[in-house]
Amino acid sequence: MSSNTEPNPEPPGLAEALNRLWRQFLPQMLERVTVLDCAIGPFAAGVLTEEQREEVNAAAHKLAGILGSFGLPDGTILAREAESIFAASSEPNAIAVARVARIVIDLRFLIQNRR
Amino acid sequence: MSHHILIIDDEDDIREVAALSLETVAGWDVVTANSGAQGLLRAVEHQPDAILLDVMMPGMDGPTTFRELRKNPATARIPVVLLTAKVQSNDQRRFADLGVNAILFKPFDPLTLAQQISDALGWK
Repeated sequence: MSSNTEPNPEPPGLAEALNRLWRQFLPQMLERVTVLDCAIGPFAAGVLTEEQREEVNAAAHKLAGILGSFGLPDGTILAREAESIFAASSEPNAIAVARVARIVIDLRFLIQNRR
Repeated sequence: MSHHILIIDDEDDIREVAALSLETVAGWDVVTANSGAQGLLRAVEHQPDAILLDVMMPGMDGPTTFRELRKNPATARIPVVLLTAKVQSNDQRRFADLGVNAILFKPFDPLTLAQQISDALGWK
């Protein structure tokens, strides 16, 4: 007897096609992490311009919106946290700076090691 | 049942994963647009069964695109599903107040996106 709670069977070729898209967009993912990385210095110094803040928020937001679809839900959580930190802290403290630096390291590791 | 979907999103990765998902998992026909302005034209031209519309886009954003779709008699009745990475409740209320047919959240599961759209729009 079949059950409605059974997971959908994965169509043949879906995983392979997703992997192909992942390889295609990997440079874009890493570039977004680099945007976050480059913002840490100005963020820590309290000199992040509004333009830089918008750019870094957009990069974090885009990572949050896509990583989970590629099987990296932890990446989405980390990117959301980074977006929240960059958006909220007009006067960043050492804890926020350290946290966002750690997030960048973890995001890069997750993205580079997706299998 | 096969459906014809228009995806409007400025992000290549989201657009391509969503298109792959709907085509491969559900066998739906998909057409895409990379901006709100292009989406308005494609909606008139293709008359999709539904539109999957990103919220944050440069130029014409999702809410503005939605209002333009509703203003045009040729697209006013096409169901629109907003796709957003905004998860805060005030954002959700703001989007719901627009009058869209449904709101789905990024990141979506490629295996279940078509089912989520079907459920949201009451498709069998």
